[in-house]
Amino acid sequence: MLKVSDLTEVYTAGFLQRGSVVAVDEANFAVQEGETVSLVGESGSGKTTTAHIILRLLPPTSGKVVFEGRDIWAFKTKKELKGYWHKVHGIFQDPYAAFNPIYKADRILYQVFNLMDRGVRDRRRLVREALEAVKLRPEEVLGRYSHQLSGGQRQRMMVARCYLLKPQLIIADEPVSMVDASGRAGILKLFLELRDLYGTAVVFITHDLGLAYYMSHRILVMHKGRIVEEGAPEKILGDPQHSYTRKLIADIPLIGRKWEDI
Amino acid sequence: MNALLVAEDVKASYSSPRGFIRAVDGVSMDINYGDVLGIAGESGCGKSTLSNVLMMNIRPPLSFLGGKVLLDGKQDLAAMGREKVKAQMWGRVIALVPQSALNALVPTRKVGAFIKDVLRYHLKLSARETMDLAERRFRELGLPVEALTKYPHQLSGGMRQRVVISVVTLLNPKLLIVDEPTSALDVSTQKQVLKMLLHLRAKHIVRAIVFIAHDIAILRQIATRIAIMYAGKVVEVGPMERVFQGPLHPYAYSLIHSVLTPEPEVRERGLSYIAGEPPALVHPPEGCRFHPRCPRSLPICSREEPPLIGLGEDRFVACHLVLGRH
Amino acid sequence: MGNARLVVSAALFLAVVLFGLAGRWAYPVDPVSRVGGKLQTPSWEHPLGTDVQGRDVLAQLIHGTGTSLSIGITASVIAVAIAIVVGVISGYRGGLMDDSLMASANVVLAFPVILLLLVVAVFVPVRSPMVVALLIGFTSWPGLARAIRSQIMSLKEREFVFLSRMTGCGGVRIAFVDLLPNMMTYVFTSSVVIMSAAMLAEAGLSMIGVGVTKGTSLGTMLFWAQLSDAVRRGFFWWFIPPGGVLTVACASLLLLATALDQLFNPRLKER
Repeated sequence: MLKVSDLTEVYTAGFLQRGSVVAVDEANFAVQEGETVSLVGESGSGKTTTAHIILRLLPPTSGKVVFEGRDIWAFKTKKELKGYWHKVHGIFQDPYAAFNPIYKADRILYQVFNLMDRGVRDRRRLVREALEAVKLRPEEVLGRYSHQLSGGQRQRMMVARCYLLKPQLIIADEPVSMVDASGRAGILKLFLELRDLYGTAVVFITHDLGLAYYMSHRILVMHKGRIVEEGAPEKILGDPQHSYTRKLIADIPLIGRKWEDI
Repeated sequence: MNALLVAEDVKASYSSPRGFIRAVDGVSMDINYGDVLGIAGESGCGKSTLSNVLMMNIRPPLSFLGGKVLLDGKQDLAAMGREKVKAQMWGRVIALVPQSALNALVPTRKVGAFIKDVLRYHLKLSARETMDLAERRFRELGLPVEALTKYPHQLSGGMRQRVVISVVTLLNPKLLIVDEPTSALDVSTQKQVLKMLLHLRAKHIVRAIVFIAHDIAILRQIATRIAIMYAGKVVEVGPMERVFQGPLHPYAYSLIHSVLTPEPEVRERGLSYIAGEPPALVHPPEGCRFHPRCPRSLPICSREEPPLIGLGEDRFVACHLVLGRH
Repeated sequence: MGNARLVVSAALFLAVVLFGLAGRWAYPVDPVSRVGGKLQTPSWEHPLGTDVQGRDVLAQLIHGTGTSLSIGITASVIAVAIAIVVGVISGYRGGLMDDSLMASANVVLAFPVILLLLVVAVFVPVRSPMVVALLIGFTSWPGLARAIRSQIMSLKEREFVFLSRMTGCGGVRIAFVDLLPNMMTYVFTSSVVIMSAAMLAEAGLSMIGVGVTKGTSLGTMLFWAQLSDAVRRGFFWWFIPPGGVLTVACASLLLLATALDQLFNPRLKER
């Protein structure tokens, strides 16, 4: 469904382009329909950059992103773009920065009707349904500003946006890293429901191997812009091949097993 | 077990336009020599405020409302007041590494110069003596001595954090309190910092550590005892292994079972989830503060606040259900 | 406490505005024709006396205030409009467009305005208040443009912008609907400050003869007074009032700006 080939992103700085950073270095991977894949890496690994390229927010220096057989960076018309974003959408990490403070919070829901053709009466009903699907009471959040809502409520509204759109692929960038431990399971459950109900594929972008292990069919480990290892969660954890992966697993604090070298 | 610092029914609150936020509301806690006491809890539970209260770093809008903080069973820091505690204890007996401390290094001074400033102010040593002390300590802790000649921005985040920790402990304080020291660091750097902390204790540079974290997995690895806070109160305390293997308080149970580590048990068991949000501490609920979200609350829970009661063997719980009170 | 400042400064400024606009009904004397003897001290007939040509000073003051105010507002509107367009385009698009727009801003900032005005004075000898307003407006935008640009540059990487982009909103729409409204309080406060600076600029320019030459403004009053050596010769009723009104107007505007700042940024109040 989605195929990323030799994706490279080089940031250059300076007037004569003297300083450059290779954020993504010839990344290759594919996502099948209904699959949950995690792109795991620490800060600076290039995972967020990759996400932005797939979401068509940042053009790649080279390489291709092909969705349903079409190169997404070859789109020319607004219609094609909107069509793409209807099918491939993003959820971001920071529930504070995801809302424009001067508008009401439900704007992020009503905005997505730009991507569909729907009558006005329909819209209100659909928004209510989406809020209920994420276990938010519409009376509690509609008409409010984002600073009046809690972090958990805001993050749920982001997921509600996807319930409205029912995309085929969601790119979720650290969706629970700013949510408290006790609320995390609830948000993750919503992702699982989206998968079960609508067959939505999800790419999790995260530094948290625990999250990746819990939610994914497949894990890709990213380091300094390259994908260094790929495989099923059990295999990555049980039998890591690459030295970076091995170090990562050795340094993660676990509950069941204590570090010996500390 | 020798008590280094004992907090007895400590209360502190913030004044805000909406009223008094009772951030720490009757907390009692023992910190023993040799402990690594982990304080766990989610945002708004009062653990960071508690860290400031333990060393009497209390300034408006925070005010101290009552309770005792006994050092070595003799001196009550609360009675001494902030100024005296600051002059006599800070850095020498109790030290704090607050959140985002890696930004505490002055960006326009080289690390060595910064340390010199700090030490000369506190100890009135000469420049040469302070440099010797710093170099010796760095070597002892496995930090590169060259870091002293660098500016903070030239060091990595992990290195900065370790530098800050070594500066804070230069005078060998008995108690070191660290508040989320590794949340901005990657996993491998985190382990280095944790290693350093345990090293400080092993070498008796510090005698006990209070480690405040929201990531329980870290506490599992380095804490000897763990205290869990909710909405300004302590709900469970005990030896780390026992609390982890058998948490008694429903909130402690949920918290421990909501940890997301890449382990098969977590995936099989599923993550625990608590609906709702922690209460606003301006008007906490009547009775037990957790009862509105507690899956096992009893009628008494909404009327009476459960006291923190010892169950023997260093185990304390504040819960009507556990204590068999109906 | 901040509210007192807001009320006082707004009231003071409104008083000046009222004086400049409505004064001519309350005191319908023609400022440009000779109505009395030359250089008369204040009297019941001419509360602020007359100038060297026998014109009523109070009438001049009323009309002059009105003119100076309108120059101030016009220049401010022009400067803010240019600053918004330049700042938003520069900040949002970046790249070569950003570099060239900021280079032009630097040119305008660094350019010796007096030189420009002297050249203009040669080629456009008859300058109405509008011309001066345009001149001031076209040279007052760089500071605000830079501030807008840097705000836009930081905001455009926020997630809410990504979310808007993913609903098919184009750059222009994002810049003006999502980003700019976040800055309107700052822009508004800045426009107040720019207005104050414009009024002062007009007064200074007109006073040395490169500003308004057609019509009466606070600056032209000072020009004529200065030309007749009013200070040395003690014609206090002629040169003090225009300076006084100018001071009250500008000071109240600046005070208003700080009060607005406090209003929009409640955290400042706690200090």
